[in-house]
Amino acid sequence: MSDKFSRRDFLKLAGVGTVTTVLTGCIAQKEVKREPYMQMPEYNYNGQSTYYATTCRECAAGCGLVVRTMQGRAIKTEGNVNNPLNLGKTCARGQATLHGLYNPDRVRGPIKHARGESLYETPVDPDADDFKNADSNMSWEDALQVVADALKNNKPEEIAFLMGTASDHLFDLVTDLANATGINAPVRFSALNMFESRATLSQAAENLLGEAGLPFFDVGGAQVVFSFGANFLETWLSPVSYTRGFAGLRESKTKLRGTFVQFESRMSSTAGKADEWIPLRPGTEAMVALAIGRLVSELRGNPLPRAFSDIEPLDVAAKSGIKLETLEHLAEMFASSTGALAIPGGAALGQSNGLAVAEAVLALNAVSDNFGKPGGVFLSPIAPNQTEYQRPASAKEMQEFTQQMADGKFKVLFVHGVNPIFELPASLNFKDALKNVEQVISFATFPDEMAVEADYVFPDRHGLESWGYQRVATGAAQPVLSGLQPVVSGVYKPDSTELLYDARATADVLIAAAQLADGKFADALPFQDEVEFLHSKVSSLMTEADGFFSAADADTFIAYFQQNGGWWKLSDARGAPNVADVLNRNISGAESEFAGEGEFFFIPFVSPTLAEAGANKPWLQELPDPTTTVMWNTWAEINPETAHELGIENDDVVKITSEAGELEVPVYLYPAIRPDTIAIPFGQGHTAYGRYAQNRGVNPASLIGQRLNEAGDLAFAGMKVKIEKTERKQFLSRLESRIGVYNEGMEEH
Amino acid sequence: MKTDLNMMGAKGAIVEEAEGKWGMVIDQDICTGCQACVAACAMENNISFVGEEDAGYGRTQHWIRIERFWEGEYPEVKMTPNQPMLCQQCGQAPCEPVCPVFATPHSNAEQLNLQVYNRCVGTRYCANNCPYQVRSFNWRDYHIDRFHANKVDGKSVYSFHNQFNPDVTVRRRGVMEKCTFCIQRIHKAQDTAKSEGREVVDGEFTTACAQACPANAITFGRVDDHESLVSQLSHQKGGVKHLEELNTLPRVTYLKGG
Repeated sequence: MSDKFSRRDFLKLAGVGTVTTVLTGCIAQKEVKREPYMQMPEYNYNGQSTYYATTCRECAAGCGLVVRTMQGRAIKTEGNVNNPLNLGKTCARGQATLHGLYNPDRVRGPIKHARGESLYETPVDPDADDFKNADSNMSWEDALQVVADALKNNKPEEIAFLMGTASDHLFDLVTDLANATGINAPVRFSALNMFESRATLSQAAENLLGEAGLPFFDVGGAQVVFSFGANFLETWLSPVSYTRGFAGLRESKTKLRGTFVQFESRMSSTAGKADEWIPLRPGTEAMVALAIGRLVSELRGNPLPRAFSDIEPLDVAAKSGIKLETLEHLAEMFASSTGALAIPGGAALGQSNGLAVAEAVLALNAVSDNFGKPGGVFLSPIAPNQTEYQRPASAKEMQEFTQQMADGKFKVLFVHGVNPIFELPASLNFKDALKNVEQVISFATFPDEMAVEADYVFPDRHGLESWGYQRVATGAAQPVLSGLQPVVSGVYKPDSTELLYDARATADVLIAAAQLADGKFADALPFQDEVEFLHSKVSSLMTEADGFFSAADADTFIAYFQQNGGWWKLSDARGAPNVADVLNRNISGAESEFAGEGEFFFIPFVSPTLAEAGANKPWLQELPDPTTTVMWNTWAEINPETAHELGIENDDVVKITSEAGELEVPVYLYPAIRPDTIAIPFGQGHTAYGRYAQNRGVNPASLIGQRLNEAGDLAFAGMKVKIEKTERKQFLSRLESRIGVYNEGMEEH
Repeated sequence: MKTDLNMMGAKGAIVEEAEGKWGMVIDQDICTGCQACVAACAMENNISFVGEEDAGYGRTQHWIRIERFWEGEYPEVKMTPNQPMLCQQCGQAPCEPVCPVFATPHSNAEQLNLQVYNRCVGTRYCANNCPYQVRSFNWRDYHIDRFHANKVDGKSVYSFHNQFNPDVTVRRRGVMEKCTFCIQRIHKAQDTAKSEGREVVDGEFTTACAQACPANAITFGRVDDHESLVSQLSHQKGGVKHLEELNTLPRVTYLKGG
């Protein structure tokens, strides 16, 4: 660790102080107390807070945070008002990041263990006894040697890195290591990206807009927004930024209140905000978009472009279940607006014809002629430190990766920032393929499923204890590099100067191990520590024009970088797409194909509050789902009419079977879902991951097969499933009254 | 002008005839129901989570919750605009006069409903009498439930206790609690302003919920200052005060929009 700039050293505990919390209550058997740290960090005064800018690592969006700390503890996260991406705002997960920092189930230190062995002990009677984390059974020095040996003693092509989407600096470090030493380039994956169908969106952007990447949809400047499955108010791409856009759509001093229409078979919480929800039949998104395009062209009196010429609106109406009048009314709405915008995303793209859906919806924007205009579609600015958008792995690439594992191509696998055993559908058999990897080293902060299946767990520090940076892939008008710095030096044991969680930054581990491995590894990462590596990456921005700040020397620049929580440019760098002949393409309006035999379409969706990794944070568990108000569990959404026909009531457990698997889950009678569709949120169903997550709910990924769309994304929404009632009931905890929807239970149904 | 109802026999009740001091405007048209305010409130105010079983019994401690209702049936079903519901800081609060131990007094200085935790004996009369159902009761000592403890070096360690906000009292079993309009932030801003010899400026600070809200749907400030943003928004067309007909004088205005 650096003695030069490391604020971790600034935070090294010095001075004594106390933090007491006022206690109340008439019964004083036990105390609620917070032990003061033995030694206080420098620059801390009793009773006064210190605020540090950093970046949220709960998802990959890269929102800036300002964290309130007091006497060495982080006590509240706020948005960084200067960061152009989130302008001082956070989502619920950003708020609950503290429940990760202080999570009692965090891995306590470097551990060697047998695969499959739990990383904590659950007491037989939790009322009488405490949980116990697995003790660290090796020193960090030994851990470094393990990593060094793994690098040195294997051929480069036998070494693989599987990484999450945050944070980018570590990805860059491993990429540099891979480029210099010939080990496999790191593969990045996140279930969020899988459910966003990022590869499909990026491919469609390349085909139609001339550049691969995530287009920037200017919701805030639009007058009419048609969203085909893009749940941009929940988890899609950059939810805080898109929520601000939505607010702009609704209220503005300069324009009328904008209209929002959502096309999807299940009303998501995004669709709940729409003026009109169009519950089209799954698989008909492409043809509906094309039919609207045709009707709009006709209304405008334009010659019918090739893209829409083959589509027959009357036929589409019959297939999609949307009345022709509705299609005409929507076309009228779209055609008469000067700022109409169409967004493709989410489950609409996760189908066998997902690429066609994305292209058909993007083509609507060509009709609206909004490319590169306010309220239209832009190319996202390329983030600083980057030459092009780096897309995380698609399902196809993960299949290939898993196959290589299964074939024994990898002798050693390093995993950081992703929990593939939970996040990937079980049908991929990632866990089985793992058996053919000789050595698995996990850098997990939390005892997730992947850490349990690893030989070694070398816990990384939590995001709030970490250095780094995150590139803002989309959501801001400027190129933004959000910076991370440790806001606390760690979490300490009571009455002790020892760390409760003896974690070490993975970048530091890799740098130190590379030095130990010597030779080309040492040459590839010639740094003293993570901070020096970070400086080497960031300092180059000093000479770039148009910066939010500038400095004459590197030290000053780095200091500003930390103080401000990153670096960004001042001017709008969104690009106008090159759109020569979008409408002269052939876009297929064929229905998508569905796998499996059941009578119900199956829509898995990401829980808006938990997302892929929130289940171990108890306050996220206790946030009611925005649409169903269910807390702490998984449910299946079924239309009340359908349920009535099947003799299913609220809280009845049903067995759902797909071609890939089956699961049992309690039912929530959801009034806003097609009668032929069922939906299950993704986020629960952990078999590890700490006391708040383990054995809670089910994971709908176990129903998803391995069929892909043209862009290589998983056709996760292209499944048909069977439902069978079981004899069991499981009562869901919900915020809304149990009288619930339609006063059910209050009267004879 | 204030009327002291104590003179008329209603214990501890004060009626404000003016619009009050602190107020909030919530724009339901842009609230997305994302729960960021709920999480922010919990983190700021040391609110305990209660777990699945107690949550099922309706014992959650949310000081702010997002209500949504359904209108119509499929396919013409509609979700009503999300409605964040929190203590309305009534000028004439039904919770206040029913407390037998004066644990729910009215602040003269801030014109807010207070909850004095160490005076509360847990009769729950106030919650019964609150038409907005925004008071929550500590049925257990959730913060020191053994389930959250870890055995470290032979000691029980509650690592979540590290996160407590020292400005906010930690509540124990048997105590009623509710939204305070982040009174600790009000006091801090007032102290800072006073030490700098000035008045608190509109927008200088805000509540945790308003600060987090990604849609900026929540605005907090001085409603008695007609220059303030919150005052101007609260007089917008379409502004509604819930259950106003009960004459509770709520301080939260809801903009229906649309």
